[in-house]
Amino acid sequence: MVVREQKASVDLAVELCGLPLRTPLIPASGTLSKEALDEVEDVYGAMLPKTTTPAARDGNPPPRIAETPAGMVNSISLQNPGVRGFLQGLDAFDLGVPILVSVAGDTVDEFTLLCEILAGDDRVSAIELNLSCPNVQCGGLAFCAGPASVEQVVAACRTAVPGKPILAKLTNEGVVENARAAESAGADGLTVINTLPALTIDAHARKVLVRGGLSGPAIKPIALRAVYDVSAVVNVPVIGSGGVVSGTDVAEFMLAGATAVQVGTASFVRDPHEILDEFTDYLKESGLGAAELKGALRSVRSGMTGGQISG
Amino acid sequence: MKFYSVRVEEREELGSYTLLRYPWNDGPVEPGQFVMARAAGYPATLDPFLARPFSFYDYDGRMASLLFEVRGRGTALLDLASTIEVTGPLGKGFRIDPGLGSAALLGGGIGIVPLKILGRRLDAVGIPHDIYLGFADAKPAAVARDFPGAEVATMDGSEGTHGTVLDATESLEGYGAVYACGPNLMLAAVKRAAGPNGLCQLSVEERMGCGNGSCNGCVVPVRGGGYIRSCIEGPVFHSDVLAW
Repeated sequence: MVVREQKASVDLAVELCGLPLRTPLIPASGTLSKEALDEVEDVYGAMLPKTTTPAARDGNPPPRIAETPAGMVNSISLQNPGVRGFLQGLDAFDLGVPILVSVAGDTVDEFTLLCEILAGDDRVSAIELNLSCPNVQCGGLAFCAGPASVEQVVAACRTAVPGKPILAKLTNEGVVENARAAESAGADGLTVINTLPALTIDAHARKVLVRGGLSGPAIKPIALRAVYDVSAVVNVPVIGSGGVVSGTDVAEFMLAGATAVQVGTASFVRDPHEILDEFTDYLKESGLGAAELKGALRSVRSGMTGGQISG
Repeated sequence: MKFYSVRVEEREELGSYTLLRYPWNDGPVEPGQFVMARAAGYPATLDPFLARPFSFYDYDGRMASLLFEVRGRGTALLDLASTIEVTGPLGKGFRIDPGLGSAALLGGGIGIVPLKILGRRLDAVGIPHDIYLGFADAKPAAVARDFPGAEVATMDGSEGTHGTVLDATESLEGYGAVYACGPNLMLAAVKRAAGPNGLCQLSVEERMGCGNGSCNGCVVPVRGGGYIRSCIEGPVFHSDVLAW
């Protein structure tokens, strides 16, 4: 029988691009309103409000969401008050943890403009470039299409905001090539992945319900694979995102190589405190700190021959 | 979103609807407020994945009740559940202004739900009111026995007035306040019938993802352009706010 040393307290802290996070959990962009902030105190290591754009956007007409097995398809399309209005409301998201700001533009110039505006705002700890919203047609620029455009945007933003970390949020398609491109263009970290392009149809009404992005536990294995593959080829930290609903899911993403993990759709159906509690229990059982999970994955061989982990 | 696991203490069928009663003492509940609810599952049910919004049907400070129609898997599972998971009261309810005189309450189909607590609240503050309920046919209309004195209309004429809920009314313009809940087409018709005077409040029925303002999925179009969330800014809106 293996006697495992029990840690007196669990170390949830991680470091992301030089930012100390008290937990590895971050809300995924567009899944946490300011009205819901009261419910999530002490859960997240950083805040990440809904993506902002240079000008206000109304978003798409309803219906905007459709439920699917183990998930949902949304087509909100970046409804937001524009970056000026966004910054006026940003103080609400000050919960004493770093604030990451997600930005999206239709052109390289729009991304650059947003970065220039945010560069001088001390409340903003890092910028996440949303290069992968499935509901936005990037005028002339197919950001999801390939490494060339990813590199172009990241490089321009890098120049515009030299003093803050830049994260590139990538879609699943071509994620490894796009990750390499973002890293070589100067991204400090990568968020992997965004929702997956998806469609729902009401057969009885013979109508398209929602054409948008799929999220929720249905996409977790795909996101996990993307994180695993990207982590193997880049040196910058990866933030795992896609289908996390439990503390074990968080652990899986970190074992796959993620430094931090985003919780999105799950927060609609669960109290995120429960996810953090489960993750804490996992760390207690494993005897590891959160920051030690990355790289703690056993190889297939040692996993098959190694000792049993007893809880 | 925080969900509480509660035991279903009573289940009853009212017309073609299901009534569930569960203990809830974390009030107050405003008329028109709603909860997100689902059959219990851990850590969340995967299919159906999302909880559903339901207006409170009744609340006495000790027990809350939901009244719903089984429409799909989510409500089918809820119908059978002995334990359900519910959020606390959400959204903005009906505004009651004692200075407005008499009130008309109109419900279409399952849109009758928020009228029960509303009627009791109006009684409590001494506002006289008439209740008008519209249904497809006599089967769901049987729920009207829970609304003593209500005027009933059915689309097929099998119960009460033949026609829509508006056909059961003479005119809405004499009322100081009009309160309605039902399908959007009905609400738009009520808005027109209520005319420009008085206070007309409409409770919308929209699909919701989260119920706490986070997903922006349940929006309604507003006059002047753009959208607002029915879970936070609603589900009850002054009729002037809405685009339709």
